[in-house]
Amino acid sequence: MTSLVQGALAAAVLGSAAAGTQAPVTSGVERESDVLSRVRRLTIEGRRAGEGYWSPDGQRLVFQSEREPGNPFYQIYALDLASGDTVRISPGYGKTTCSFFRPGSDQILFASTHHDPRSKTLQQEETEFRASGKERRYAWDYDPEFEIYAFSEKSGQYTRLTRARGYDAEGSYSPDGQWIVFSSTRDAYSRALTPAEQLQLEVDPSYFAEIYLMRADGSDERRLTRVPGYDGGPFFSPDGTRVVWRRFDEKGLIADVWTMELDGSDARQVTDFGAMSWAPFIHPSGEYLLFASNKLGFENFELFMVDVEGRKEPVRITYSDGFDGLPVPSPDGRRIAWTSSRGGGREGQIFLADWNHERALAALRAAPGVRPR
Amino acid sequence: MRQGTTRAFVGALLLISAAPSLAQTAAGSRTRAHVEFLASDQLEGREAGSSGERLAADYLATQLTRMGARPLPGRTDMFLPFEFTAGSRDGGSRLTIAGRTFTARTEVQALSFSDDADVTGPAVFAGYGLVVPESQNVAYDSYATLDVTDKIVVVLRYFPEDADEKTRAILARYSDLRYKAMAARQRGARALLVVTGPRSPNAGQVVPMTFDTALAGSGIPAASVSGAVADALFASGKPLRDAQQELDSGNPHMAGFALSGVTITLRTSVVRERHTARNVVAYLPATAPVSAASKPWIVVGAHYDHLGRGDRGNSLASKEEAGGIHYGADDNASGTAAVLAIAGTLAESPQPRRRHLLVAFWSAEEIGLIGSNAFATKPPVPADQIAAYFNFDMVGRMQNNRLVVQATGTSPAWARLLERVNVAAGFDLVTQADPYQPTDVTNFHAAGIASLAFFTGSHSDYHKPSDTATKINYEDLDRVVAMAATLVRAVGNGDEPPVFTKVDQPATRGTIAGVRVTTGTIPDYATEVKGLLLAGVVAGGPADQAGLTKGDVIVEIADKTIANIYDYTYALELLRANQPVRVVYTRNGERRDTELTPIARQ
Repeated sequence: MTSLVQGALAAAVLGSAAAGTQAPVTSGVERESDVLSRVRRLTIEGRRAGEGYWSPDGQRLVFQSEREPGNPFYQIYALDLASGDTVRISPGYGKTTCSFFRPGSDQILFASTHHDPRSKTLQQEETEFRASGKERRYAWDYDPEFEIYAFSEKSGQYTRLTRARGYDAEGSYSPDGQWIVFSSTRDAYSRALTPAEQLQLEVDPSYFAEIYLMRADGSDERRLTRVPGYDGGPFFSPDGTRVVWRRFDEKGLIADVWTMELDGSDARQVTDFGAMSWAPFIHPSGEYLLFASNKLGFENFELFMVDVEGRKEPVRITYSDGFDGLPVPSPDGRRIAWTSSRGGGREGQIFLADWNHERALAALRAAPGVRPR
Repeated sequence: MRQGTTRAFVGALLLISAAPSLAQTAAGSRTRAHVEFLASDQLEGREAGSSGERLAADYLATQLTRMGARPLPGRTDMFLPFEFTAGSRDGGSRLTIAGRTFTARTEVQALSFSDDADVTGPAVFAGYGLVVPESQNVAYDSYATLDVTDKIVVVLRYFPEDADEKTRAILARYSDLRYKAMAARQRGARALLVVTGPRSPNAGQVVPMTFDTALAGSGIPAASVSGAVADALFASGKPLRDAQQELDSGNPHMAGFALSGVTITLRTSVVRERHTARNVVAYLPATAPVSAASKPWIVVGAHYDHLGRGDRGNSLASKEEAGGIHYGADDNASGTAAVLAIAGTLAESPQPRRRHLLVAFWSAEEIGLIGSNAFATKPPVPADQIAAYFNFDMVGRMQNNRLVVQATGTSPAWARLLERVNVAAGFDLVTQADPYQPTDVTNFHAAGIASLAFFTGSHSDYHKPSDTATKINYEDLDRVVAMAATLVRAVGNGDEPPVFTKVDQPATRGTIAGVRVTTGTIPDYATEVKGLLLAGVVAGGPADQAGLTKGDVIVEIADKTIANIYDYTYALELLRANQPVRVVYTRNGERRDTELTPIARQ
């Protein structure tokens, strides 16, 4: 099945899921309203924001945003969805990314470089670069200084959980709060590299990123993946028995969503668009997962959903120019937070919408099956 | 909402067929009764200076008194009157050539900025009457080899029709008739006559007397004349069509020439109506000790005037609707009601407020932001004592939960405050940094006051009699009130006032004067995308015929990339009527193109 035909089918499916409505030409907003409603922009302050993850009680969202005065890099903030109050979680200096609430505790994990003595110099350099008016394509630098920290909201203490040289980030807790899955490039820094690998490290360090598992205190680290190419963005399934993540090919151009057991066995590919399909997160019902893909245009990422086994074709969720990605359903499965540039400009901000689980299930049931791979 | 710059042009094209879905929750609305009264037949569209406007002002003062607001310190009532020019009409202009006298308004009509005078003099043709400043790197001076001292100068309207695109883009900027009149006056001309050339749009027609709020003339008699008068002027020499053809190549060295033997006697007369209108201004005193060091005032405001029966030239009524009451329920009974409700909420609130809340209702906004300008240029409270201004203009027609907040560039404090209050309010908030909006907020930014302007988007009833109270989305209007009240309270009780940041005006703004064609597009101001997002198209108009529709984003027109509304207006200046151009647009993220044929704007 060509991707073109798939797209047409996905659109047809969404159309049929709205019972009794016949809309020959519907705008993107109208199509999205099938499963999304009350779409709204949540974050406003700062140049950009993203990666919003819910607290287990659904009352707060922790996210990264470039809004700290004097620091051009992301810092981590927690937003109270009742009061609108926002508090900074990370130290305010250095680079940070990828935060997550620890269930059953007062802790929030995130990756940070703040222990790097060069932090403030790097901030200064980046500020000057941006002031110069130059622009670079979006690029994540996989700074090997990134380490995973847990922050205690009660004590205000930061506990460093990883020690290995290399980018350690993209961490998330298991539903019982006892385990962390994360992505790391430590393999590239812990052994002698071939000249080809050395070159690869300079050009694209993410090639070496693999999925790891450790206990919530940072002990008992285990490597789960061993395939060349960037493995990242892992999350536990709602029942805590499997990991969902995205796997890039060796060239770093094509990515797909996979799931595996906690020991790395039984790896199964869920998507097969031949595009960049990433940022998967399983809905709390456990029935399907949400992800982002640019199959409709290199810079036009849209949200999709697919049953966790990948038996049916994915169903498109968003219809909006620019970036829609990093979808995260709320713990009750009735809302989603995601990162989108639909508010204008190139930079993303966090959006919220109500999520119609029943319509999502109906659309997934109506999706055509996929050819066996 | 005032028609202004780009929006005036686009406003003239507004026409959307979709009716909004209405929330029918009459009970408990804080705004509905206000809107229904202000937009009732009794108030006759609240035209500035009219009896309907006076009734509205009295109503507002009564409401303010009822909630406990007081006249400003040192004043005994809540009315701040100001004078303005309400419009102009020709008072009997006439023109005589070779014993033939023209008096009909279709033959000779004063330009709205003309001086009143009786003049006689020899006629001289000065081409397009264009003078481009040297800084523009285009040498163009219609007067370079021409002595027009004590002569009556005849010029063509617009700018050379066939000049290359780059030249046209520059000439268009200097083709405004006021600018041409100034150029003629500075060279000693006795009067200016304008002819719409046979090769131009609107050929042979006199220039409509546009609404002009100037209090006096521009120092020179100026009138436009018909094609028939032009024929009389050019009877003995080179025909006007031939002269225009030569000029249209854009050759600036095609000299003007004396219209040999033609002596013109011209009388110009413009009647300007002076009126008095009233801003309604009161205040709710602070409820906690005022910190003198930190700007003790905040202002909430909305204009309460509208178009009356739409006879001042800014109505968009169809022929069938013309002359009817323009109720202005959204524009701006909605904003007026919102300000009353916000003030009422704060008046009832037990929470402390360390700043005085100045509540203002502006008049004569629709004819040039005149009321708020009168306030801002001579503020009864010093401008440097005002911590912030909040404007509400057209906030009653929310669709898809979308609220536009403009002028956020006027303070770095706004983003955090808006984010916080919107978490609970839950709007799909769109922020726009630009304070140069066709509403009163412009005047407060100019006065150095950190400002925000609330807006729920334009619609098909904009500036038409069909902008009625039944179409207001009261449920969402009340949500806007609740959100804004929280925001106003936060600033009203905050320690530090929002720091003011001046916002520079975008440099490459198109001007209404240069645009001569319409494309029948209705831009969506409420959404910011890269390109021009269409809120709709005029049925049967050029865009409609080109297959464009609501939701499309125009990214390129005639090989010009379009990043925003200003780019679009600028590109329109370069288009010609009936000449097809390629339009590139995106629909659902997919890039497409089509051919669009603009038509002449009247």
